[in-house]
Amino acid sequence: MKRFDMIGRDVPRVDAEAKARGSAIYTDDMKLPGMLYGRLLRSPLPHARIVHIDTSKAAALTGVRRIITAEDTPKIKYGNWRLVPETQDEYPLAVDKVRFIGDEVAAVAATDKDIAEEALQLIHVEYEELPAIYDVDASTKEGAPIIHDYCPTNISVNRKIKYGDVERGFAESDYVREDTFNVQSVSHAYLEPCSTMAQVDLDGRITLWTSTQTPYIVQCLLASTLGMRENDIRIVKPYIGGGFGGKMELRAWEFSAALLAKLTGRPVKFTLSREEEFLAGRRRHPMKIHSKVGFKKDGSLVAKDLKILLDGGAYNAMGPTATFLCGNFGAMLYRYPNYRFHGQHVYTNKPPASAMRGFGAPQSLYATEIQMNIAAEELGMDPVDIRLKNAQVSGDEIPDVATISSCGFIESIQAVAEMSQWKEKRKNLKPGQGIGIGCYSFISGGVFNWFNTQYPFSAAEVRAFSDGTVHLLTMASDIGQGSDTVLKQILAEELGLEMEDIRITSADTAMTPQADLGSWGSRVTLMAGNAVIDAARKIKKELFGAVSARFNLNVIHELECKNGRVQSKAKADYGLSFGEAVAMVQKANRGEPLVRRGSYTPRDKGLVTPAFGFGAQVAEVEVDSETGKVEVKHMWTAHDCGTVINPRSVEGQLAGSIQMGLGYALSERFVMDGGTTLTTDFADYKMPMAMDMPPSEVVHVDTYEPEGPMGAKECGEGLASPTAPAISDAVYHATGYRCKDLPITPEKILKDKEQKKK
Amino acid sequence: MRMPKFEYYSPTTVAEALSLLEGKGAAAHVIAGGTDIIVKMTHGRMNADALIALERIDGLNAIRFDASKGLTIGATARLAEVASHPDIRSHYPSVVEAVLCMATVEVRNMGTVAGNLCNAAPSADTAPPLITLGADVTLVGPKGERKLSLDQFFKGPSLTVMEQGEIMTAINVPPPGPNSGSSYKRISARCGVDIAAVGVGTTAVFDGEACSEVRIVLGAVAPIPLRATQTEDLLRGQKWTEELISKAGDQAMNEAKPISDVRATQEYRKAMVAVLTRRTLEEARDRAGQR
Amino acid sequence: MKHQIRFTVNGDEYSLAVDPWRTLNEVLREDLGLTGTKLGCGTGDCGACAVLVDDKSVSSCLTLAVSIDGKSVRTVEGLAPSGEELHPIQEAFIKTGAIQCGFCTSGMEMAALQLLNNNPAPTEREIRAGLSGHLCRCTGYNQIVEAVALAGANMRGSQGEEVE
Repeated sequence: MKRFDMIGRDVPRVDAEAKARGSAIYTDDMKLPGMLYGRLLRSPLPHARIVHIDTSKAAALTGVRRIITAEDTPKIKYGNWRLVPETQDEYPLAVDKVRFIGDEVAAVAATDKDIAEEALQLIHVEYEELPAIYDVDASTKEGAPIIHDYCPTNISVNRKIKYGDVERGFAESDYVREDTFNVQSVSHAYLEPCSTMAQVDLDGRITLWTSTQTPYIVQCLLASTLGMRENDIRIVKPYIGGGFGGKMELRAWEFSAALLAKLTGRPVKFTLSREEEFLAGRRRHPMKIHSKVGFKKDGSLVAKDLKILLDGGAYNAMGPTATFLCGNFGAMLYRYPNYRFHGQHVYTNKPPASAMRGFGAPQSLYATEIQMNIAAEELGMDPVDIRLKNAQVSGDEIPDVATISSCGFIESIQAVAEMSQWKEKRKNLKPGQGIGIGCYSFISGGVFNWFNTQYPFSAAEVRAFSDGTVHLLTMASDIGQGSDTVLKQILAEELGLEMEDIRITSADTAMTPQADLGSWGSRVTLMAGNAVIDAARKIKKELFGAVSARFNLNVIHELECKNGRVQSKAKADYGLSFGEAVAMVQKANRGEPLVRRGSYTPRDKGLVTPAFGFGAQVAEVEVDSETGKVEVKHMWTAHDCGTVINPRSVEGQLAGSIQMGLGYALSERFVMDGGTTLTTDFADYKMPMAMDMPPSEVVHVDTYEPEGPMGAKECGEGLASPTAPAISDAVYHATGYRCKDLPITPEKILKDKEQKKK
Repeated sequence: MRMPKFEYYSPTTVAEALSLLEGKGAAAHVIAGGTDIIVKMTHGRMNADALIALERIDGLNAIRFDASKGLTIGATARLAEVASHPDIRSHYPSVVEAVLCMATVEVRNMGTVAGNLCNAAPSADTAPPLITLGADVTLVGPKGERKLSLDQFFKGPSLTVMEQGEIMTAINVPPPGPNSGSSYKRISARCGVDIAAVGVGTTAVFDGEACSEVRIVLGAVAPIPLRATQTEDLLRGQKWTEELISKAGDQAMNEAKPISDVRATQEYRKAMVAVLTRRTLEEARDRAGQR
Repeated sequence: MKHQIRFTVNGDEYSLAVDPWRTLNEVLREDLGLTGTKLGCGTGDCGACAVLVDDKSVSSCLTLAVSIDGKSVRTVEGLAPSGEELHPIQEAFIKTGAIQCGFCTSGMEMAALQLLNNNPAPTEREIRAGLSGHLCRCTGYNQIVEAVALAGANMRGSQGEEVE
């Protein structure tokens, strides 16, 4: 095991004090002189043609500075999948048609919020209502209303994966079963509602402070939709109150703020209400999952045929990626000699689904894991044993995806079974009590370049100073997950410095090196971390050269940066303080500052990810037989995230995942009436509270990921997957109710009981 | 999401409040803690040209208990004060239970029992326990003061028998009788604070093995907190057996008239009325034994 | 008609003319520039806007500013005025990793302050109940609960100085 100074330590987060004091500035906390307040007019109809928009009354209202509709825009479509332009299906403001309740139709900038809101009510839009469709089956039927003219089938993405011979596999299987699962839509429910503020400088260049996970994506897409050059747009990410995948696209308010700022010459700020977030915000894809699996008698997997219909809502958003990934995740965890996947992304007249923590995995793996448990029971095996028998291991090749490098999956299953006393509890719990298992695998960032960036996936610049400090610049975005802290830890480790010696500037597209694709897909630690190491090593090369020359060292001397010094490993006396070494390099270069760029783009790692995380989770529940209420009594988790860089952060990610998984399993859902979202506040959107959280124990399985910085890989996002299947399996163990239709509600448990009585 | 514009008055006496209310007419609304009203107004579910705040009326926040006269909760007493009041905690535990599960710490520091009742949500948590305890409310209006059984107070969602110009000044609860016990239980999606999908309040008086008097009120299963009178008739004067309790649950279920909404379906609500009725009866019995 | 109100925030006196329909949250954030208090939902369900009014935590999004006349308000900025040593609650939040995105933090800290003022040695259950109505999407609450317990212990340890 490698030994580290800064890695594996509970370094306090670099932003914690500012947040604890209330002095951390989030987007809505900002105000500029002369600033106008923006509001969006949203469609009240799920599907309609826009016949006419009359803004004259609203424009006449005192205090209203400008109103824009699509007519005031260049009408350029956008979408995150720039690589496949036909997937770019959204206009910043609706052109000709609205496709969901909440679709943005017009934007107002006024001198105060109340006036802006009043103006919205004075805009008259004449609609011609069109027939609307709300589920994937209706949408894919012959003759269904067409939501986008370019896509007469309403199926916007078809993704197929195939290896081996699935049919032969089933023929050779001793046991084959088919199940259909339905999983619901849930909200990111980040605490900070989206907010954005735009300012235009005297040259017409735009600066946009915005609540985003992906400053670079917003920069590029804002430029293209406004018909401007990328370098004329600067995106600054202030402190962000969480994202979870919900803030990774250009959005209508960002576009509208920028355009209104341009048109009025004044700064413009938009902040969404929570009601808007729930009504029209992005959400996790509901999926209809049909899975057929075949096993040998001894429990070994032979084949899997997976068909998934994703309910994408009105636009593609990040749906194409989710369609690809749910197929990739379907082939993870276990060794499937024969595998076939067909994923279809379907349009409906509902708010668009998009990326959300797990990115297709929570849905796909729910089906995998529940089916594994069903199969175990029917084959007379323990759910733990059937998993151990089929578990992926290091070196396994998944055709067209990757070769798994580090993998602590088996160790995770074994550890969680031991911690939870699985074998005893599975046999001896009382009626109404149950214990269940769920597992996950997840990516450490994606390889497939759907955004078609021309830059490295992550980049870093390190500036070294003769006072012994360095300045790290990176476009990586800390959205609350702690990447600024982790990247500083990695740099401190590499350069032998303390956290206080490092200044960091992050996520400002005009100041930090091009580029970084943003915070999603658990990519930041691995990719931005590697970019930081790359830059740091280039700095070290210069420092080592200077020290080597200064002490006339034999060329075979190994050098190191440690404890604020640059020195010979064998004889620490042969060395200088970090600052002195920097000064020497600078002198040797006649004053030229010591600045180096580093970058990372995955190479030769297939098309999915450079590294996979793994883990297993066990839940113990108690179910009230009369009310059907489920109480989660305890959770145990063992996971493999490679080297743990910041233990407290990893544990925080884990507990946060459990909260989200608990909600996904038991209480969270969007209640819809056709295209209308009925759950529009936190009173009815049932996110677990402090009282709902079970006690939880965790073990980090010790692995080292060769592709990761200091051996680290994904953590925290994969863990969004195992909680629901673990709880679901525990509920089955307690009650006999096998949930194939999330969430598990008391009512479903009671209904199942009733039916079994009959 | 825009707060409509209104005038605001902060009278210091009930008389002043009444005259303001009279002067402003139907467009005026009384505000206590504001936790319901502000949400309704920002979401366009309520409109008022004038809000008349009761908060600064002297003495209106008093909570008084006297073993012979019972409990009086002033209209502006905060929910938190009610839940932490030692006499309420020891003599009226079902009221405390309702208050603790119905609102967050912050809302309890702002909201009032009177506000919860006047808002008249079918799911109002304080109503079932208070009705079963035989509470009445003091209403003061242009025609003077009247006392009204809380049982007669509700007319429908957001509707009460209060007349134009009337203010609720207090809630009065008789002293708990000997051999009596009360309980309030509810079902909601989360463990802690949440909106009730179903709630049942029960108060029963026992005479040896028999139940001599009982009141059962069902919350969130009808347009108003619903008295399960036939269930009460079924229990009254009968010997306390498991079979009787089970029958009472079924009867209460038949009396409930719930709807399906985002919080639960009709069927589930009905089934839960039976369960909670049984459970509150059992708890009331246990508590009566402890008294 | 605007109402002239006088009140204190973190010990500083303010005299303002406010429209009656404005909330305390708006006045704190927009008029006084005290943006440490957040707005997460506007319906009193998330707790991000909690402040203490006369030592009781309330939802500033549901409090009319006009009702604050004559009262004293304490916000997160008043826990440890800038530059001063951190309040034990803030220290504990930092130390335990209770802060991720930070948007719920100020509300959580104010809830913790009210809880510990009333109950200096709360049990874990009491802490969880005391945080009811404060939503957090990042931490799963466990490290926040740990922080409140730690803060309580530290405040008890330094009695006389910091306990209010």
